[in-house]
Amino acid sequence: MSAALFSARGIRFRYREREVLAGVDMEMREGEMVVLLGPNGVGKSTLLKIFSGLLSPYSGEVSLLGRPPASYGRREMARLMSVVGQDLPVDFPMAVEEYVALGRFPHQGFFGGRTAEDLAQLERALAMTGLLEMRRRGLGEISAGERQRAAVARAICQGAKVMLLDEPTAFLDIYHRVAFYEVVTRLKEECGVSALVASHDLSLCAEYGERIVLLSAGRVMASGRPEEVLTPGNVRKAYGVEVACDRNPATGAVRVSTLRRK
Amino acid sequence: MSRPGAVIAALGAAALAAIFLSLSTGPASVSVGQVLDALSGRTAAGTPAETAERIVLSLRLPRALLGCLVGGALSSSGVAFQALLRNPLADPYILGVSAGAAVGALCAALLLPGDAFLPLPLCAFLGAALAASAVFLLARRRSGVSRERLILMGVIVGAFLNALIMLMVALAPPGRIPGAVYWLMGDLGLGTPRRVGILLPYVAAGTAVLFLLSRGLDLMLLGDDAAFQAGLPVEKVKAAAYVTASLLAGSVVAVSGLIGFVGLIVPHGARVLVGAGHRRLVPAAFLMGGTFLILADIAARTVSPSGELPVGAVTALSGAPFFLYLLRRNGGAA
Repeated sequence: MSAALFSARGIRFRYREREVLAGVDMEMREGEMVVLLGPNGVGKSTLLKIFSGLLSPYSGEVSLLGRPPASYGRREMARLMSVVGQDLPVDFPMAVEEYVALGRFPHQGFFGGRTAEDLAQLERALAMTGLLEMRRRGLGEISAGERQRAAVARAICQGAKVMLLDEPTAFLDIYHRVAFYEVVTRLKEECGVSALVASHDLSLCAEYGERIVLLSAGRVMASGRPEEVLTPGNVRKAYGVEVACDRNPATGAVRVSTLRRK
Repeated sequence: MSRPGAVIAALGAAALAAIFLSLSTGPASVSVGQVLDALSGRTAAGTPAETAERIVLSLRLPRALLGCLVGGALSSSGVAFQALLRNPLADPYILGVSAGAAVGALCAALLLPGDAFLPLPLCAFLGAALAASAVFLLARRRSGVSRERLILMGVIVGAFLNALIMLMVALAPPGRIPGAVYWLMGDLGLGTPRRVGILLPYVAAGTAVLFLLSRGLDLMLLGDDAAFQAGLPVEKVKAAAYVTASLLAGSVVAVSGLIGFVGLIVPHGARVLVGAGHRRLVPAAFLMGGTFLILADIAARTVSPSGELPVGAVTALSGAPFFLYLLRRNGGAA
């Protein structure tokens, strides 16, 4: 069994009076791909921000490789963990490759130029996300889905061992959703990258995720293998919708189908 | 040479050409040959050419250099504010920093005895720094400084300081602040070799600091959270760039008054030419801003037969349509 990469114990967080996380316990191991599920506003993004050191919980403990996130230097942390958030910049005419190359910042001096390694990582990230052809186009000239792929490319370019991705497939078509999960799986297998993906894609998560953590009402409602977590009862309790769960005849993964309200 | 490198070289050549044009333009007619002679120091004493040399070297050259420094400083400052606030509408004026500098300079002129030129820039820096700190502190919350609050506080502090400026000018004893109204509209006529010499180190140091911060400014375009997660010490870079940009704007206000629109539009024009990366954008915007202000000053000195116009009026008159042109050209993405 691989070592614990990070763990959270009794995490509580509130925005003003509203308590969002009411005691979250979870753990992630090295080389694991974990999918974080839960309805809108349940605190998935907040939890990812706590893991990346952006927010501090008002009670509970987070540890990344045995240390609290706040004890890491900014660059040291960025070399260890890359994050794809939900907001994508569009206000300034920056070329796709320039934007992706910003991921190399923690590996460079503050004033330093690009090394051969930086350029190699840039090419690899652009190739993995299918952005080579539009590398010189401005971020404002490409679609929301393409910008989202550029954000994933920037995280890949950062070359970190852990990736936190907040709904990285929200704007993607089905081809690019599948491509995204394939890329994360490839990074895991080839480079030992661990990924924590917040998502709403129940069936694709079941296909690619090794473990699913389902958040509801500020706590972890269920955690485990996809077939253990994605049951009609759990989905009804977390999301308030009726679903049927069966197996995909081609792959054997859990398949979640929504049922019409009567 | 790469395309951005060639563009920056061309902008440098344009700045030199604008300075040369400025030296040969004015009410006294000075030929191109006389300008060249004056610059190379080949004029014989006691000839009419010596008068031309004096006009070129002690009147027009300081004015052209002042225009270049002021335009460059305002543009670099605008580049930094726009990146910090991730807002294409930010500039030293919108944030109240220039108004703070003007209040500082007016205080010096009203309260200090005699010819208070020397402490004037110092008081303007203080005013700019105080206004910037006030905006920064008012916008600050426990979670950090949000861009929206920063610009809102800038507008509020700026409005308050502009009211103070009007009060000070209206209530000042007659003759105490001669030329204040002109100065408030932006004026490069105060360019003397001494003033250029006082301004130069501030503008050079400020622009150099912004150039050194260019990678940090690139990351700031991602937004505070993403810049933090990408490994940037966000609050430190923000504070350093904010103070530097404020002092750049403050120092030029002391010497040339309130010249609007340069810090807002030049960065956009420079981005169209060299892109959003700050390592190219800071020098490109500096050169473009310097050139633009020298040309605006030439226009201000020559269009009206009855005398000079304030250069701030010319920058605003030509800047607003240019801004619209940029917006249309970029399909609203500028």
